[in-house]
Amino acid sequence: MENSAYLDELESKSINIIREAYWQYKEKMAVLWSMGKDSTALVRLVRKAFLGEVPVSFIHIDTTFKFKQIYAFRDKYAKKWGINLIIVKNTAALAGGISSDQDKFNCCDSLKTKTLKTAIEKFGFKVLLLAIRRDEHLIRAKERYFSQRDKEFKWDYNDQPLEMWAQYYKTEHEEGGHLRVHPMLHWREIDIWKYIKRERLPVIDLYFAKNNKRYRSIGCQCCCSPVESSADSIDKIIRELKVSRVAERSGRAQDKEKEYMMQKLRSLGYM
Amino acid sequence: MKNALKVVVAGEVDAGKSTLIGRLLYDTDSLHKTAMEEIFQASRINGNILEFAYLLDGLEEERRGQLTIDTTQAFCRNAKSGFWFIDVPGHAELLKNMLCGSSYSQAAILVTDATKSLEDGTIRHINVLKFLGIEQIVVVLNKLDILNFSKDAFERAKGEISALFDTIGIKTKYFIPVSARQGDNLAKKSAKTPWYKGPSLISVLCSLEGINKSEKKRGFYFPIQDVYLRKGESVFVGTILSGKIRRKEAVYVSPEGKADKIKAIRVFGRNKLSAEAPESIGLELARGGSFGRGQIISKDGEFSASVEITAKILCVHSINPQDKLFFSCATQQTLCSIKQINKFFSISAGVISDSKASLDKEDVAEVLITVQEPVVVKRFCQVEALGRFVLRKDREIVAAGIIT
Repeated sequence: MENSAYLDELESKSINIIREAYWQYKEKMAVLWSMGKDSTALVRLVRKAFLGEVPVSFIHIDTTFKFKQIYAFRDKYAKKWGINLIIVKNTAALAGGISSDQDKFNCCDSLKTKTLKTAIEKFGFKVLLLAIRRDEHLIRAKERYFSQRDKEFKWDYNDQPLEMWAQYYKTEHEEGGHLRVHPMLHWREIDIWKYIKRERLPVIDLYFAKNNKRYRSIGCQCCCSPVESSADSIDKIIRELKVSRVAERSGRAQDKEKEYMMQKLRSLGYM
Repeated sequence: MKNALKVVVAGEVDAGKSTLIGRLLYDTDSLHKTAMEEIFQASRINGNILEFAYLLDGLEEERRGQLTIDTTQAFCRNAKSGFWFIDVPGHAELLKNMLCGSSYSQAAILVTDATKSLEDGTIRHINVLKFLGIEQIVVVLNKLDILNFSKDAFERAKGEISALFDTIGIKTKYFIPVSARQGDNLAKKSAKTPWYKGPSLISVLCSLEGINKSEKKRGFYFPIQDVYLRKGESVFVGTILSGKIRRKEAVYVSPEGKADKIKAIRVFGRNKLSAEAPESIGLELARGGSFGRGQIISKDGEFSASVEITAKILCVHSINPQDKLFFSCATQQTLCSIKQINKFFSISAGVISDSKASLDKEDVAEVLITVQEPVVVKRFCQVEALGRFVLRKDREIVAAGIIT
């Protein structure tokens, strides 16, 4: 098996973090699943951490603008894996005709961040597990494994708590706020693909090249563009990533709309 | 493929830490096209020519203020397994962010500004590295371009650091003359320093050691993280700190030292015959009992629990002996108090004094700690993860500790 010991180590650390968060919060913990490659790998890690009997809920934040393949994938595997899935939408904003055509910042903030805010209030979640990684974005690289958000969802990136030896964290959430837990912070994009291969995980076919284009990162159809690529299999994607000079999220509009957009979105509670 | 070596880049404010990492990423072709475009763009907006530090300093406040506020990590490609460079802030008030980043690392690059004489921040960071037990340290004497790559200037700066290392008790072979901004002696040897006979920074890093392989060979220690009930059986879940375990092997559950036997080693979807560090597994015991988080399963019957611990601590906040403190080691947590402060020094001053009534931020002290519930600890050199701990006050980590 390819890179077995190396992937084992990444996996073990993630499982340890998932179990640590659960020990503290039990069913007040939920996992964000977008059906993308990273959060699908996270679903696998969560199932492994709980030895197959998962006691926590999963959340899909549905902007309704996702690729149709995403919805088919969600319904198929939520059922197959026996996942307790909560699907949430910002129906008011959608009824008001919001879209990314007018203002991407506002669209992401309303349909993702605000929807999440409503959902965690409704269900009383105190901890969210997210599949973000350091190598995705400079701002995500500044994150801690356990990251506090206040009741306004704000992230105080100027005063983050001390984490020692990747073992001792500040696991308490603030009064009225919640905790973001990032069990895959130390994974790289190429590791995700090696793991998908090793664990034989299903992925949405948008990741594989058709007519010399493929999606490196997927989300809403309106704000994702494919990159030039001929990688039409997992092995070819792994080979491509070893030499590629194209950024993973280069096809994601919210990352580069204007300077510091990601920082501003994240400081308001974006994922 | 091995896991990439994690290297912290330490040093005083403005010594050029972020610039050095950014330049290395650039020279090793580790950057995305968009990252390059972004720094060209951002450098223009902020009025600089080309600011390699922007590749690490992603926060608006960091770029405007031209300083690193929080620690970050960046992956550097090379022919082998690559490196994770850990950037940390140099400012004294950002000690906790520096400590956070350094605690992940297996080796360090100490960046100093060769145009200046020895600075407080350099001394502070050397003391933190020494405290954490990071022994692989490469010294980079930066800004040699400003000094016309003069050998004499390099030797003078090297002499100062060597003298300090001798006092503190750090051994290192590597002193490299560098211009981080221009890339001299980073990814390859520079023609501007013909008098320098040593290797480039990247070749030194390639020769350093990664994960401590001996952890696997040491005794088996497994702190219980949680207990899951699966098909009527109690499964003790956790991460193996060191050593190896096989099914049917005899074990002890400490601190009580109760003898038991491994009935099953459980992972997702199957049982295993054996498991070793650093796997996260579940254990079923033949006899079992009402064990829970904080207890430690090992093969060590002689293993004794302690109520008094002598250790070295580094304070990130001030501590009074009257403070209500918690002691955390692996999954063990108990109330504790500092009974005695034997010797202490401040990481910026470095002068050892004999005793003190309370401890300030930046103090390193040899202390006697008494814990309310007995705990299982080891010396750092025996089992790393049971030889280090943190002290918490009001939910915050106020000190890191090493049992020597």
